[in-house]
This record gives sequence, C-alpha cells and structure tokens, in this order.
Amino acid sequence: MSWLPVKAVVWREVSKIFRQRARLLSSMVRPLIWLLVIGSGVGSMLDAEAQGGYLNFLVPGIVAMTLLFAALLSALTLVYDKEFGIMRMMMIAPIEHYWIVLAKLIAAIITALVQALMLLLILVVLGLVEWQVALWLMPPAIMTAVVCAAMGGLIAVWSKTLDNFAVIMNFFIFPVFFLSGALYPVAQLPDMLRYVVLINPFSYGVDLMKHAVPGLDTDFSILTNLAVLIGFSALAVLIACWRFSRDSVHEPLFHRVSAKR
Amino acid sequence: MASKYAIETQGLSKIYGDTQAVRDLDLQIAKGQCYGLLGPNGAGKTTTIHMLTTMTAATQGRAWIAGQSVQQQPVAIRRSVGLVFQESALDRMMTVDENLQFAAALYNMPPKQANQRIESLLSVFNLEKKRYQKLVALSGGQRRAVDIARGVMHQPEVLFLDEPTIGLDLPNRRAIWRFVEQLRRDEGMTVFLTTHYLEEAEACDHVDFMQQGRLRPGGQPDDLMRRLAAYILEIHCADPDKVAKALTPEFGTPISEDETLTFRVASPDVDFYQLQQSLGAAVSSMQWRKPNLNDVYLWTVCHPDEGALL
Repeated sequence: MSWLPVKAVVWREVSKIFRQRARLLSSMVRPLIWLLVIGSGVGSMLDAEAQGGYLNFLVPGIVAMTLLFAALLSALTLVYDKEFGIMRMMMIAPIEHYWIVLAKLIAAIITALVQALMLLLILVVLGLVEWQVALWLMPPAIMTAVVCAAMGGLIAVWSKTLDNFAVIMNFFIFPVFFLSGALYPVAQLPDMLRYVVLINPFSYGVDLMKHAVPGLDTDFSILTNLAVLIGFSALAVLIACWRFSRDSVHEPLFHRVSAKR
Repeated sequence: MASKYAIETQGLSKIYGDTQAVRDLDLQIAKGQCYGLLGPNGAGKTTTIHMLTTMTAATQGRAWIAGQSVQQQPVAIRRSVGLVFQESALDRMMTVDENLQFAAALYNMPPKQANQRIESLLSVFNLEKKRYQKLVALSGGQRRAVDIARGVMHQPEVLFLDEPTIGLDLPNRRAIWRFVEQLRRDEGMTVFLTTHYLEEAEACDHVDFMQQGRLRPGGQPDDLMRRLAAYILEIHCADPDKVAKALTPEFGTPISEDETLTFRVASPDVDFYQLQQSLGAAVSSMQWRKPNLNDVYLWTVCHPDEGALL
C-alpha cells in the first residue's frame, strides 16, 4: 500500500483551509465571540475574583469547541463529496475504500488542529492565555481533534445528503458542545444531564484540555480521559470504515447523484 | 490468470429490492475490442458497468477483467480499469491541473510521470491553455474531455465509458470519439461503452442490446445493418392501414407509428420511384435510405416481433 493516494486526499482537504480564507476567518470569530461576549457576560454575574477564573475556565472549552466544529465539518466533506460526485473519483481508485475514510479523518484532524493553533496564537497575542499554557494545550488538543473527527466520520457515513446538515448542527454538534463541561463544571449539573455528559466522548477531550490549564478543577483523571478518547475513537473509526466500505458496494453512491438530475 | 478476454462474465445479476436490474449476463469481450452495450434508460447498462468496475457488488454470478476476478481482487481490478461516469466526477472548484494531479496521485503515479501524462492528454484535446483554469471556467465539452483524461490517466487496460457524450454538441462529440479512437490505436485499450447516440456505436467492433436487464445478443454493427435490410423505406400517408395492406406482401409487416410506416426492404434492386408512382395520392411523402444502428435497435429491441433479427 502506497501513501501517495492517502496523502493526495488529505492534501486536497487541508489545502481548502488556505483557499477558503473567509471560512478560516469566520472559524476564528465564533470562539472569540464565545470567549469575549459569553465569557464577559456570564463573568459579570460573578464576583471580581471569580470573573477572571471563569474566563480561564472557558479557554480549554472554547479551544475544544473550535476543534469540534472544524473536525466535524471537515469530516462531513465525505457527504459533500458523495453529493457532488467527486467521491466517485476516489472510489474508482485502486485503494481499499476504508482508506478514503481514514484519509478524510486525518485531514479533519489536521484542519482542526490548524484552526486551534491559530486561535491559541490569537489568544496569546490578546493576552488571554499565557504561551506556556498554549503549548500545554496542544497535546490534549490532538486527542480531542481525533475524537471529534471520529464522531464526524460516524455521522458522515450515515448521512446521505447535505440536507441533513441543519439537523446535525441542531441535534448533534450543539448538544455535544453544551453537555461537555466546556461552559460549566460537570459536577454542578443536575444528575440527568451529568449522565449525558458522562456518555459524551467530547467531555473527556474537554476535561483532558482542562488538565493543561493550571488551577482548573477537572472531573476525570488523565488516564480515564485517554482511555475513553482512544477507545471511542478506535471503535468509531472502525465502524465508519466498515460502514463506508459496505455501503459503497451494496448501495451505490452514484444512484443518489443520478437521482438529482 | 492469463485470459484471452478483456472482460468475461458468467450469470452476472443484480437485484435492487424488488427490481432485477441485470439478469444472468454472459459476456466475452476480446482484448483490444471496442464493445457497445446499447439500450433504453433503466435497461441495466450502468449497473453492468458498476458491477464490472467493483463500484457495486453483483447479487449473483461472476466476472473477470483481464483474467482477474472482480469479486476477489477489487483493488487490482480498479488498477486495470478506467471509468468515465455518466456525470462528471471532477471537483469544479479545482483547476484542470489540480483535478488531474489528484487523479494521478490516487493511482500512485509519481509527480514527474503524472505531469508528462497530463501534458500529453491535454494536448490531444487542445486544452493545454486551460490547464491552470478552474473547471467552472470550461465549457461542457471541455469538462467532459477532462473527465475522460481523468479516466485514462493511468493507462488502463479496459476503459469503461458510460454515456460519454451525453449532453454534448456534435463537434464535441466528434472530438471525444476521435480521442477514444486515438487511445485505442496508441495504447491498445479495450473500450466498453454505453451510449444513447446509436450512430456513435457504429464504430464499435461489436454491439449488444440490453432491455429490462436482459442481454439481447447483437453482433458487428455493419453485419447487423446488412442483415436487417438493404434499405429502410419510410412512408408518410393519411391511411396507413391501406398502404400497409398493399405493401406487406412484398416488404413484410411494417412498424406503424401515427401516420408513418417503416418497412424493411430486403432486395437492393427495388425501384422506389416506380413504387411511389404506383402508390400515387395515397402517399404524402416517401423516403428510402441505407439502414443504421437506430433501425437495428428499433426493429430488434422495440419491435422484436416485426424484426426477429437477433
């Protein structure tokens, strides 16, 4: 197996980050609004000492949010490529079809990490994060990007059209983000919501990132976070690869394209 | 396994739910041949191509491309075949060069080799100046040409063309066929094509017809046309029943569509001017011509009772 086809699929996706500059810019604006507007807004309800603490608390969550949106949207290009017919160029290539999924997920991880890195640089420049903390945030960011890409891969192989996109945003991305401990400590949530946080793999990515910020309380140990993140990611990627390989030969992608004519 | 056939199938079938898209397909296509599979929409032509190129799994039966099993060696099959889909598989937001470089990388072609191949393929279509333009800036014919260039980038042994000229104007269609012919000549490719434009299939070495998933064996286009008739006679008249009754004893049962009768004329020595005079005012207009593949298709697939040629 040569890496050239995989590299080509990865590069095609990653190069889009730099080609679509407006998209890149908007991906920086969203977390900054959350951090500066929501952070300051919620912080204003707290006493002066807690106010700075809340902004500090939000940083790993907001970086994780950037990873979540970037990785999921990048993984969903699997659906875009199916819908616009470009997937056929990859399907007819002499590689096992699961490599297409793996290459797309690698691209999603890289895309997410590039955006997270840019956000951290902006936060360092704005003086909201110390550069040492930014550096410490990168290793857990890698694991969080992996789990986000794996979740995106799972959704993408089950999504038939981009029409489902709004549904995915409303019923998946937002609940996953809000119920992850990114915006508030898990321990303070009502029991029922806490259980949802516990079954949300993204929570463990956010928690792992909190471990990188000095002075923040965390909900799980580093070992627990790593075990869940690695376990879930491996399982999700396996299922996505299996589903894509099976689906692509049993229910051809091409009929969907033709049906749109 | 060495095989004298480029494509071979045994009882190949595909079922989608309640629909049997392809039934018991038996094919043997020799290496280097240009093979045409003709039939109406929904006949099973595209499904056949997709089964042969590993894009969809057969429900029953077996297939081999250049001696390799389609079911057991899908990756090797995809290396041996090129497939030009009915609709473009290119990324419109990328340039011609980026699309072709991407396709070349998918086939594991080193960049230097890919560059040479892209250069030579674009020169055949006079698209060298478009190389660094985005695909959206190209005309439909040019985009189709790039699609075909993408399909043959890796110099496949067997090239599958699924309706390659659909939606193109005549000059572009002719350019596409010149290119395909050049590929066959220069690279010895076996070509498997489906098309709605039956006259384009006249250049094939062999054509078969497909209807409702079943193969109706054909033959060499020239031979099929010769066997169909010496001439096709079309008569436009106000009373088709009366004219049909008068001419059936000599020419056989016609195909009747509205006020037009179409006869197969077996003898090359019929005096059509005299016939026109003898029919007189009963005929509004009359024309005769050599048969083409459209006629073969009409008589054998659409009206098999009148044709019984295949």
